[in-house]
Amino acid sequence: MTQSGPSYRSVSLQSILLITLAIHGPLLLMQLPANSYDANVHMFFASHYSHHWFDPWNEKWFAGFSQTTYPPLTHQWIAMFSHVVSLETAYMLVQLLAVVLLPVGVYRFSKIWVEERTASYAALGSVFVGSLAFLVYQAGQLATVTSTALFLNALPYFYEWLVQGRLRSFCKGLAVSLAAASAHHVTLIFGAVLFAIPVVWRACIEVEEHFPEVSRGQVLRRAAGFGVLAGGGIALVLLPYWLAILQHPIRQMPIPHDSRTNYLLNLTTGMNYFVVPYGALILALPFLVPAAARIRSLRPLLFGFWLTFLLSLGGTTPLPRWLLGRAYEVLTFERFTLWACMMAMPLVALLAVTLLDRFQNLAATGLSLAAIGSLALALAWLNWNPYRPPSALDVKPVVDFLNRDGHDGYRYLTLGFGNSLGRVGAYSNAGSVDGDYNSARLLPEMTEFGSAQLTNSKFYGSAGMQSLRAMLKHANRYGLKFIFVHDSYYEPLLTFTGWQRIETYGNGQISTWTKNDVPPAHKIASDAVPPPWQGLWWGILPIGSSFLAILLLVLLPQRDPADEELPVLATRREHYAAEGSR
Amino acid sequence: MRLWISLLLLGVTAALIVAGLGQPGVLWGQNRESRDAVDAAGAGAPQAAIASLLRNVQRHDWDGAYAQVAGSSNVDQASFIRDLSGTHGALRTFSGLTGWDLNPLRATDSDAEVRATMHWATPVGALDDARDLKVVREGNAWKVVWPQPHFPDPPPQVIPLTFMRWDLVTGGSGDEWGNRNVDGPRVRIVSMNAVSYEGGSVVIGEAINEDSIPAFVNVNATLVGPDGQVLGNESSFDKVLHVLLPKQVTPYRIDFPEVELAKIKSVQMDVKTSLIGAAADPVIEVSNQAIGDDGAGAKALQGQLLNQSGQVVNIPHIIATFYDDGGRVIWVADGYIDRALLPQSPEPFRVRVPERIANNARNYRVVVNQYSLGGS
Repeated sequence: MTQSGPSYRSVSLQSILLITLAIHGPLLLMQLPANSYDANVHMFFASHYSHHWFDPWNEKWFAGFSQTTYPPLTHQWIAMFSHVVSLETAYMLVQLLAVVLLPVGVYRFSKIWVEERTASYAALGSVFVGSLAFLVYQAGQLATVTSTALFLNALPYFYEWLVQGRLRSFCKGLAVSLAAASAHHVTLIFGAVLFAIPVVWRACIEVEEHFPEVSRGQVLRRAAGFGVLAGGGIALVLLPYWLAILQHPIRQMPIPHDSRTNYLLNLTTGMNYFVVPYGALILALPFLVPAAARIRSLRPLLFGFWLTFLLSLGGTTPLPRWLLGRAYEVLTFERFTLWACMMAMPLVALLAVTLLDRFQNLAATGLSLAAIGSLALALAWLNWNPYRPPSALDVKPVVDFLNRDGHDGYRYLTLGFGNSLGRVGAYSNAGSVDGDYNSARLLPEMTEFGSAQLTNSKFYGSAGMQSLRAMLKHANRYGLKFIFVHDSYYEPLLTFTGWQRIETYGNGQISTWTKNDVPPAHKIASDAVPPPWQGLWWGILPIGSSFLAILLLVLLPQRDPADEELPVLATRREHYAAEGSR
Repeated sequence: MRLWISLLLLGVTAALIVAGLGQPGVLWGQNRESRDAVDAAGAGAPQAAIASLLRNVQRHDWDGAYAQVAGSSNVDQASFIRDLSGTHGALRTFSGLTGWDLNPLRATDSDAEVRATMHWATPVGALDDARDLKVVREGNAWKVVWPQPHFPDPPPQVIPLTFMRWDLVTGGSGDEWGNRNVDGPRVRIVSMNAVSYEGGSVVIGEAINEDSIPAFVNVNATLVGPDGQVLGNESSFDKVLHVLLPKQVTPYRIDFPEVELAKIKSVQMDVKTSLIGAAADPVIEVSNQAIGDDGAGAKALQGQLLNQSGQVVNIPHIIATFYDDGGRVIWVADGYIDRALLPQSPEPFRVRVPERIANNARNYRVVVNQYSLGGS
């Protein structure tokens, strides 16, 4: 193949951001994620902060639970925006910010490993990755995406600190890491291992090859220093979270999740958690490993990607169970797919560069089609997925019922509402004994049976129905007087246990059931109520960490444009060529 | 180096995937069909044939399930599916097969008999369905002989109804059911007995509607300890007739699995009633009642139900009261039937009873609660 065709240069970051906005902006303005699995949960949390910023005790779910059991950053940003726009629009805005930050993070993260042009292709590719669309539009994992984007942006500062010892890099890296932890702690805990260790390894190689004046020991000491301070900072910023988790460790019965099954034995699960999220990246996998293995400086990234990739396979291999122990039963594994994809992007971009240099337009067309195909498959899967969330339910009549005639003096339960449970919670004044955040559940009726939300009881088989029976038995104890049913499956149980239908809405789609002898709800005593100082802490420090990060980025800009890139990066392209030819 | 790393990553990945396929429960599901036994007997063993059939039932792969049925069964696929998936809005139509136990009863080279206890998840809780299945060798494979199911087929007829019916006139939308300032019908507890059961306590007895209008009833019990502290507070839940017609008697049973009988000083009973519209229809006759062996070594009250009305009873619920020599209530047991009661078509029922109760019971009375689609 000759080199006579067009030469492909790097794509500017501004162009990448515009492409990101062009693709994801309309989808988010259409509120496509509004019916995703978790979006309503995030909006529910945000709704609470918008009314009770300094009081994390939320009476609306589980007869009371503490929101300090989930890092608050994204919810608090939504809460702030919700004073200007609607709650849904605020959610979409925050999600858009996270989506826009992601290619920036991939670009900057990639520059640790590859040169400018390749990094720009990696960033451009990340916009089309199936797992991003999967997490944003199907799973609604706002916090994971936000935290990943922030953490990817923190890593280059961390790298600069390791190699060059710049204090401003240290400060910015620390602040952005704290913000990432405030968005989602799990991302940072695993990110520290899966992302940061390869970066430290990379830094060791870098100083050995280009900075003889810096020893490996210095790099490791800097890494340890950063780790200690970051760990301390995260412990401090999320202190109420750690206190809550220490007081009530997650000991509930494990809840089954499809991402923990073997993807090879279930076609739909395999599609959902492997084919759709990885998309065209699957075609690149056989080439990534040998391509990255031949370049010494890329091997840390290769091993990091490989381990993350294995974890993303969930129950397909026993490795996650071996490595994570009890945590295996609590975690879901789709987030690892996003991380694996992001780690793969620099390697995929290297492959793209090789193809573009050799096949020019043909390669450009093929790569474009692969990228578009990946995104299109993930979006089409929203409709094709047999286990997709049901279409959004009109919960307004339910909310109106609960908010009138003193009905909010009792607790309620929904059955068959799926992810609409969060919307009822966000807009009604009444409390429910159910909820859509498993880790916060403390009521024994819910923790002892190995099922998740009561509204989805039937999907957990006998365990789910046992849990529902246990809750109905104690209806009087919890002041549970109203049940809204959107699935006739539950009607026999309600009939036999002394409930009676009193109203129907939406052409009979939803029916209201009540029980005559239930006393008004009273506060359920709990040792999980955070003291007032924790409310203040929770309302100030996590959101403060994001303000601090923004402030430092503004106050401590790069000294000059040449500093945008580490000095060594300019030589990196030649370096790959030299190593690759060995 | 490059080749070494690639081969290492590829090899470890492949080994882990193979190890993943070999994990317990991955290929064999979560059922206690004794994987070892099935392995030892070979893939063509009788139990493996039943397990394969049930796995397909679990996945609703009816073609796959029917492929395991012996040709000598004389059951067509439609009847086979109706037998396992239920008809007429019966409890089985709402159910999902969650697991099974297989116990071999006898085996020869050409045929075998296996007791299959199927565990179903239903809207009212877990239900077991035990069947003794014959398995025969057909060529090189074992196939399950599925008995021809019998489905009631009542002849077309018009049934005159003369039942009593009470309608309830309610107020505006803000005055929902059960919340108005009207005294509820008079319902009285006529007997109460606390007994020990499996380390806990059970409060049993009967209540009667003494009023001339129907009553909606919930019975609650509070256990009080020797120094006056409350040991527990529970309701009769589904072990009571919630809708009581005038002069009708209902048994009730309230379980306290965590409270030992010896720790109870007194029991406070509380009956909450409210007005309700109700009808005497459907009338369900109970006949041929007898305590006997349930075929699995336990005692059971068995009998027959006959729906005398013209409408289908989708889910019948049996509540049986057992009395001793002195007419005292000594036990209340209940059970759901997973087949619908069609008009004028008898349907057998069976309610398990503890051996001690079966030996001491001198009399028993069965009432039938029911759920019909479209009503509540």
